Amino acid sequence: MLQGRIVFHRLKKPEKDYAGVSRRMFLMTTAMAGVTVGTMTAGVRPGLAAALDDQQSAQLLRMVQDIYPHPDLLPLSAYEDVVATVLAGMDNDESAAKAVREGLTQLNAMAQEIYGSAYADIEDPDAREGLLRTVENEGFFQGIRWKAYFGIYDNKELWPLFGYEGSSVEHGGYIDRGFSDITFVPQGPTLEERLAEVQN
Amino acid sequence: MTQFDLNDDTVVVIIGSGAGGGTLANELAQKGIKSVVLEAGKRFDFGDIENDEWAMFNKISWLDKRYSAGGWHGAVNHPNLPAWIVKGFGGSTVHWAGVSLRLKDYEFKTRTTYGEIAGANVEDWPVSLEEMVPWYEKAELKMGVTGKTTGMPHLPWNNGFRVLAEGCRRTGRTDYNSGPMAINSVERDDRPSCQQIGFCMQGCAIGAKWSTMYTELPRAEETGNCEIRTEAMALKIEHDESGKVTGVVYADADGNQHLQKARVVCVAGNTIESPRLLLNSASSMFPDGLANSSGQVGKNYMTHTTAGCYAVLPEKVHMFRGTSVAGIVGDEVKDVPSRGFNGGYYLEFLSLGLPFMAAFLEPGNTGWGRSVARALEQYDQMSGVWICGEDMAQEQNGVTLHESEVDQYGLPVPVVAKTPHNNDYEMTSHAYETTAQIYEAVGATDVYELPAYPASHNMGTNRMHADPSKGVVNAHGQSHDIANLFVSDGSQFTSSGACNPTLTIVALAIRQAEYLAQEMGAGNI
Repeated sequence: MLQGRIVFHRLKKPEKDYAGVSRRMFLMTTAMAGVTVGTMTAGVRPGLAAALDDQQSAQLLRMVQDIYPHPDLLPLSAYEDVVATVLAGMDNDESAAKAVREGLTQLNAMAQEIYGSAYADIEDPDAREGLLRTVENEGFFQGIRWKAYFGIYDNKELWPLFGYEGSSVEHGGYIDRGFSDITFVPQGPTLEERLAEVQN
Repeated sequence: MTQFDLNDDTVVVIIGSGAGGGTLANELAQKGIKSVVLEAGKRFDFGDIENDEWAMFNKISWLDKRYSAGGWHGAVNHPNLPAWIVKGFGGSTVHWAGVSLRLKDYEFKTRTTYGEIAGANVEDWPVSLEEMVPWYEKAELKMGVTGKTTGMPHLPWNNGFRVLAEGCRRTGRTDYNSGPMAINSVERDDRPSCQQIGFCMQGCAIGAKWSTMYTELPRAEETGNCEIRTEAMALKIEHDESGKVTGVVYADADGNQHLQKARVVCVAGNTIESPRLLLNSASSMFPDGLANSSGQVGKNYMTHTTAGCYAVLPEKVHMFRGTSVAGIVGDEVKDVPSRGFNGGYYLEFLSLGLPFMAAFLEPGNTGWGRSVARALEQYDQMSGVWICGEDMAQEQNGVTLHESEVDQYGLPVPVVAKTPHNNDYEMTSHAYETTAQIYEAVGATDVYELPAYPASHNMGTNRMHADPSKGVVNAHGQSHDIANLFVSDGSQFTSSGACNPTLTIVALAIRQAEYLAQEMGAGNI
């Protein structure tokens, strides 16, 4: 009841084929992952390459995508930026870096044991999320998770993709910019009606 | 600006500059009574206010070390943020949303109305609604509350509230409206009308929402009767051999300690810091802390029974456009024990920006993954409420001092314990169901139930009671034990009621100023 869990509505409509969409995106992004992270870490930010090898960078990118998966909404670069933030944090904190490397190794070992393949090569997103759930209370995971949270949901560049418009004071507020523009429910009371109800 | 000497023992020292302390300072100043306000936080102005949830959270929140404890989920998920309140000039009136409801008659008489509730410590206030009505009216005029007292119309309805209101209409409800709010719907009192900016709880960028930051505090200073010292953290209240309080020791921005002498001390540091200060002021004469002969200082901590509930609608809503709390549903505020719980609750439309929705949809270590991401992809189709209901006082809920750990001032860190009563669970469950029914009636496809946020409504830890053995202060906020020591914030509340506490805090502060003037004039204190 007061636990920190999402409770889905009891009349929830049958879901669209979310997993199918997700899987197609997964195949595409995985194919790109090794290349883009390798390019980013080796080319654009050479100083970061030491934090993780290419295989672990690709695994981290897959993991960040699985933490907040928006395959149809966000560009891969949004997740690559999160990976870059994690790598930069590792450069500045050797004990955190060690925890991330060990965490990724542990995750892959678990993936090999249960599914016979590396974490990033598991095709079923539910299976990957299930593996992550087993490490969700560990510091390395939450460190990456919160970097992903801020990189995605507190990122003004990405807000428009979620339909969030953010700061309004510099535009004079929303008073002339759609604060009451929906049409699927009735209008609210007019100024005259609102005045009448408070004046005796 | 006026400065008072540290040795001036004719001043009233007020600790805190929020709804209680800020109002009291200005009321006293207008009556010609001199005061020094000690505000722990920095002096903010409009230039500090941004439309950015995390930037403002980091800038204005009270983030000194605290521990969450007890059985509520926050003891795990928000271990160092039991409460979401402000450290700064204006206190939590910078952050408050503006909801200005009066307690109901029965909410002042909870013991009489509910009888004894097992596991709770429910009592009657020593004041009634009837006695409070004129003070509520003064508060509404001061703050500019939309409604009949001021004649100011309630605010225009925004998208998010229109969805909620239509659900209310279709489910046969009658008590839902876009007020009363202490937000100007027209220009009033040298402040502009609301521009539907949103971000009310990050500080109103234009001053349409009442806050002591740009009303009571500068007006008090202008009289020359009030000095407000910011970055002045009260550490200890001193007393003499007769037991009367004589001054307050505080630390300035550089950590240097000073003693400001006082004729009267009024504590208004919010419901965690106020009892903490009284407990930290223990002496050989008062070994359990000041004003604590009842043993009730720091106990009966109430936060309201709260939760969030957000529905996904079939079309775009853009709930973030406009006033953050844009409307209130009031028809569940009644005591109907056959519902399985005592007391009632409001449903208050509340927009969250994407960052806070993503943080609070499922707080804690589990709040990630496909279910969370899927919900957040529907962010722009959401409307939702904050559930705000009566919370039962319980002795086990309260503020205690950490045994060994101290903060940057060398004071023991407060441990804030909160375990919901069964009444809270029953009420929350009822409120989730009610909210779901309302939104279903307008075609909601999903409804998400969010657990309580860190509390912005904090009450009860220095409660009023007619009987000195059951409460800390009398009906005027004057401590039963020490005649010149007052409590001036929400920690005075005997019951939480269902409504947001600020209007009642302001009404009590206006009333207390009148009482102080009378008692000081008569030479009684």
